[in-house]
Amino acid sequence: MTNHWNDIANADVILIMGGNPAENHPISFRWVDKAMVKGAKLICVDPRFTRSAAKAHIYAALRSGTDIAFLGGMIKYILDNNLIQKEYVVEYTNAAFLVDEKFDFQDGLFSGYDAKGRKYDRTTWKYQMDAKGIPKMDKTLQNPNCIYQLLQKHYSRYNLDLVSKITGTPKDDLLKVYKGYTETHKPDKVGTILYAMGWTQHTVGVQNIRAMAIIQLLLGNMGMAGGGVNALRGESNVQGGTDHALLFHIIPGYNPMPRATDKTLADFLERNTPKTQDPKSLNWWKNRPKYIVSLLKAMYGANATKENDFGYSWFPKLDEGQNASWLILFDQMAKGKFKGFFAWGQNPACSSANAGKVRKAMETLDWMVNVNLFDNETGSFWKGPGTDPSKIKTEVFMLPCAASFEKEGSITNSSRLMQWRYKAINPPGQAKPDLDIMHALYQKVRKLYKEKGGAYPEPILNLSWNYGPKGPDGTIKHPDPHFVAKEINGYTAKDIEVEDAKTKVKTVVAKAGEQLGSFAFLQDDGSTTSGCWIYCGSYTERGNMAARRGKADPTGIGLYPGWAWCWPVNRRIIYNRASVTWEGKPWDPKRAVIWWDGSKWQGDVPDGPQPAGDIYPFIMVPEGHARLFAAGLADGPFPEHYEPLECPIEKNLMSSQKLNPAVRLFGEPGIGAGADKYLTCDPRFPLVCSTYRVTEHWQTGVMTRWTPWLVELEPQMFVELSKELAKERGIKNGERVVVKSARGEVDAKAIVTERFKPFKIADQTVHQVGIPWHYGWVTPPDGGDSANLLTPTIGDPNTMIPESKAFMVNIEKKGGK
Amino acid sequence: MAKPKNLILSSTVFERVVHWVLAGSCLFLFLTGFGLMFHSLSFMANFFPGGHYIMKLLHNIVGIIFGIAFLFALIAWGKDTLYFDEDDKKWFRVMGGYLWEVEKVPEAGKFNAGQKMFFMVLFLFWFIMMGTGIFMWFPIFPAEITRWLYVLHALGVVVLGGFLVIHFYLGTYGNPGTFQVMGHGYVTKGWAKKHRPKWLRDVEAGRRSV
Amino acid sequence: MNEKVMLIDVSKCTACRGCQVACKQWNRLPAEKTQQRGTHQNPPDLTPATWNLVRFTEIPLREGGVRWLFRKDNCMHCEDAACQRACPVPGCIFKTAEGAVVIDTEKCIGCEYCVNVCPFEIPRFDSATKKVYKCTLCWDRIGNGQIPACAKTCGPGAVTFGPKEKMIAQAYARAKALGGDATVYGDKFVKGTHVMYVLPEKVRMYEKLTINPSVPVSVYLWKDFLKPVSVLAIGAALVGTFFHYIIKGPKRPEEGGE
Repeated sequence: MTNHWNDIANADVILIMGGNPAENHPISFRWVDKAMVKGAKLICVDPRFTRSAAKAHIYAALRSGTDIAFLGGMIKYILDNNLIQKEYVVEYTNAAFLVDEKFDFQDGLFSGYDAKGRKYDRTTWKYQMDAKGIPKMDKTLQNPNCIYQLLQKHYSRYNLDLVSKITGTPKDDLLKVYKGYTETHKPDKVGTILYAMGWTQHTVGVQNIRAMAIIQLLLGNMGMAGGGVNALRGESNVQGGTDHALLFHIIPGYNPMPRATDKTLADFLERNTPKTQDPKSLNWWKNRPKYIVSLLKAMYGANATKENDFGYSWFPKLDEGQNASWLILFDQMAKGKFKGFFAWGQNPACSSANAGKVRKAMETLDWMVNVNLFDNETGSFWKGPGTDPSKIKTEVFMLPCAASFEKEGSITNSSRLMQWRYKAINPPGQAKPDLDIMHALYQKVRKLYKEKGGAYPEPILNLSWNYGPKGPDGTIKHPDPHFVAKEINGYTAKDIEVEDAKTKVKTVVAKAGEQLGSFAFLQDDGSTTSGCWIYCGSYTERGNMAARRGKADPTGIGLYPGWAWCWPVNRRIIYNRASVTWEGKPWDPKRAVIWWDGSKWQGDVPDGPQPAGDIYPFIMVPEGHARLFAAGLADGPFPEHYEPLECPIEKNLMSSQKLNPAVRLFGEPGIGAGADKYLTCDPRFPLVCSTYRVTEHWQTGVMTRWTPWLVELEPQMFVELSKELAKERGIKNGERVVVKSARGEVDAKAIVTERFKPFKIADQTVHQVGIPWHYGWVTPPDGGDSANLLTPTIGDPNTMIPESKAFMVNIEKKGGK
Repeated sequence: MAKPKNLILSSTVFERVVHWVLAGSCLFLFLTGFGLMFHSLSFMANFFPGGHYIMKLLHNIVGIIFGIAFLFALIAWGKDTLYFDEDDKKWFRVMGGYLWEVEKVPEAGKFNAGQKMFFMVLFLFWFIMMGTGIFMWFPIFPAEITRWLYVLHALGVVVLGGFLVIHFYLGTYGNPGTFQVMGHGYVTKGWAKKHRPKWLRDVEAGRRSV
Repeated sequence: MNEKVMLIDVSKCTACRGCQVACKQWNRLPAEKTQQRGTHQNPPDLTPATWNLVRFTEIPLREGGVRWLFRKDNCMHCEDAACQRACPVPGCIFKTAEGAVVIDTEKCIGCEYCVNVCPFEIPRFDSATKKVYKCTLCWDRIGNGQIPACAKTCGPGAVTFGPKEKMIAQAYARAKALGGDATVYGDKFVKGTHVMYVLPEKVRMYEKLTINPSVPVSVYLWKDFLKPVSVLAIGAALVGTFFHYIIKGPKRPEEGGE
């Protein structure tokens, strides 16, 4: 979230699209309701009439996978009707920037496409620079190469008729949504977007969100209270997981993963430290070397020295061009490239796209360690449906671990809010906190490397591991999460002095050995450590900031700066410098986030402490302006509608590129394990399907399916379908059916409902159905199995997130209760 | 028992047993029923181990006994009670001489018109009390119907309560010599002559035994 | 008075059913074996082990589209409680100072009178234990300064609990703000209920919500008319026969008639 949960209450218009907060983020509706009590309008766009839709003033249905067409139509509506917040757009976005004259877009393809490699050469997707190396601008927005003009040209094709034909949304409904949402272009009207996996789990996942970001920028909603682009995280700590980089392509604090080609630290930093010539651009990432060196110091402690590049050579690296995303990992596993697998707090046998392939892949393993609260389909894959245990060699170890309330620690929620949690009860039986398990594991691995050597022991032996009080023998008996939190924050090994800009008087802000109060003090000389720079300031000399429980709300807009701690630097609304004019006056004085009082900033922690008018507001990009045109993505600087991999229509009505040209296809020679079948526009699979969650279960249901009260509420796998489709197929409400895709099938109970309606797509009737992905064969006995047995192995080209929100299935009557 | 002198058999053993079962169960039903209807009488539950629950259960079970006993009563007295004749109409015109001085009370058979009426009302309310009671015990009907069963059951209490008192009075103090019909079953000829002359003539003529 | 009201603002309810689970958790009620029957409403109805149920109603609209209504259904805790009037066991159904109408299951004899007279069809008879169960308004919590478990857990703030007058005022303010068909449900009948609704739609749109509820006439007839009348009838009969005896005297067979 750029904003935070409580802040939803500040919105004038709330758009729910690509998400279903009422069901999947139930507590969020506290704030949605609060906003509505104050008169806010709620708009919900979803293929299915959800519990969120039930609360909305305006509901519009769209076919799964057509969000960019829908939003592209809104961009066109904004531009056609001149509903942009002009000053904001000109001053704070790159609308006025001029783009390389060779940049082009023709029939679904941006310039630089390499059809063979299914990728773009992005050299023409760049700004024109002046002699000083500063991007050229035309603040009149008239230059045909300026981004505003390119944007207008790009979305001129997204007219109502075409959008309606693609999305299946009636034109009236499109207009209602467009009109309702774009009300917020007025400086003192704010709209927010709440989205989740309904936008990300597509082959155009990143571009879905980009499209909305463009809308928010055009309407001047970024940085505002009640605005922003807000990803609702589907798990209490997935934000924390991302911050600490439980992903293959980044390292903690959103730094890029080193490549094998980055031979030295200097190479790595040179490649990844952006530069700008514009004095008004703060270009925050110029500080990257400080963060990387501090991270290396946290990793290797005293072993990291200037002489050995702070241990950079020990740090894990990707091969050039290597993609180690989830889909690829399991693809490799299916090909027998793995010996062992730690399934830690996860259930890929149910959560992975094309779960049938994943279950098969596990059979190639020598061993698996399943760390979880309960038995699950992953740990028990060897005795799953259609599996012969006698033929499986895999040895599975189950390590029972503690639940969240059985251990101390922190979680970081969607608000980027790090909240400390305490242990309520002891874990049952032999269950241990994850930290204890990792600690024991590390000690063992380290001992083995130390005693027996092995290939390249240095990364393990040189690791700094001070996660608990040491006994007289120098060993740590019990690891302590406070030690970990302190390391994440970081400390300084020498006094840090800061010089006052006016008086030139130097004051010591941090003494040697002290916890640091802010990442502003991090150094690239090895004198500071920080396990994750954005968390620097979370555990300072003043104590554990995440454990704070202050209830004061000095601004009155629900920032609660004394409640826990949020990254970065306790800034509750990021990009907040865009919420004020150059002079530092709030666009919306009623809900001011920050304001310049003539000598200093008031309100939230501003995005950069510089006085009003000194710097551009979007400090995380080198040009300092928010990007309507974003050159960094794999599949184009502007979002463009492409059909999902599996879709019901033969032709993309927008261009002759049916599928996102930059996606990586499995199932082609050399990639994929034979289990990656796709059938698009196939009469055997005529129904658009989407997976989703319900309030009553969580993720693959490993925790909730073992909770009888929750099973009582949602006992069995179901498929929701329209009355019209049910009538066509002779399916009665509550009846048993089979849902099939090219990859597998799953039994379900039919919920025949008014809440799904057939779509008119390109003059043909298209039915959509939906299934939850909470069930699995382990428990309950008659609960059913995973929806992911049906989903395809295909990912977004930028993130490789699988496309489980739009694929094709069929439903057959099975009969019986 | 040997036939006593100057006495005439008025009720058989069968009749007397039925009558006593009816009387006993009826009294029990009234007492426990009142114990359930009036919180002020709830002390009665103390007489039962298990309190209200057992009291109510026994009320239900005794209700069944009462209901079955009444079927026997129908066998015993139905043919003598479930009709009115000309004399009965006349009897009603003078209210059997119970309320004002009457020259001549119309002659009655085994049962006078008042007793017949009593039996018919009892028959009706037997039906009502059994019909409502059983479905109060096992409420298979919708609540909208069941709640009216409670009303009917209470109506039965009102009617039967009054009748029971009068019945008891007329069978004892009000008509001396009557109670032994329920006792040893014999009455004096004088009694019979006064209360059921037609019946006496029939018995003496051998047209009926009892 | 310390009267309290639970206000259920249906317009804010998202049917997350946290309240349904919280109720079971606090009251230690077992999970029931259910089936997916073609609706998200589960268990299908209130039961002896489900005292609080969110009802889902789908209503297709004539002009197209659909309404999906959610209503938390539980005991209304009437000020004039038909169940309490009907209960034969003293103290079995009692009312707390806060207004909670509670069945003392220790005392319950399973007569089901309360089940059949409740204008909201709330109490449920358990044929296994032979007792009747229903929501207690968490009287064990509210009597100790806590709020009911369902209100405590409600994320969106649809279920709130507080002093009666304050909640009624809030209810009317909210209904007014919602406009349209919005109404307040609860204060205008059975002398006021201690559970009230703000309903954004007409009462009849909600499944199993009684339109114009009242203590059934039958209960008045039964408990307030026939009950005293039965005493009167017996009393009158006693008095009548007494006077008959002393005025008219018994009917004796003629002396020497035998």
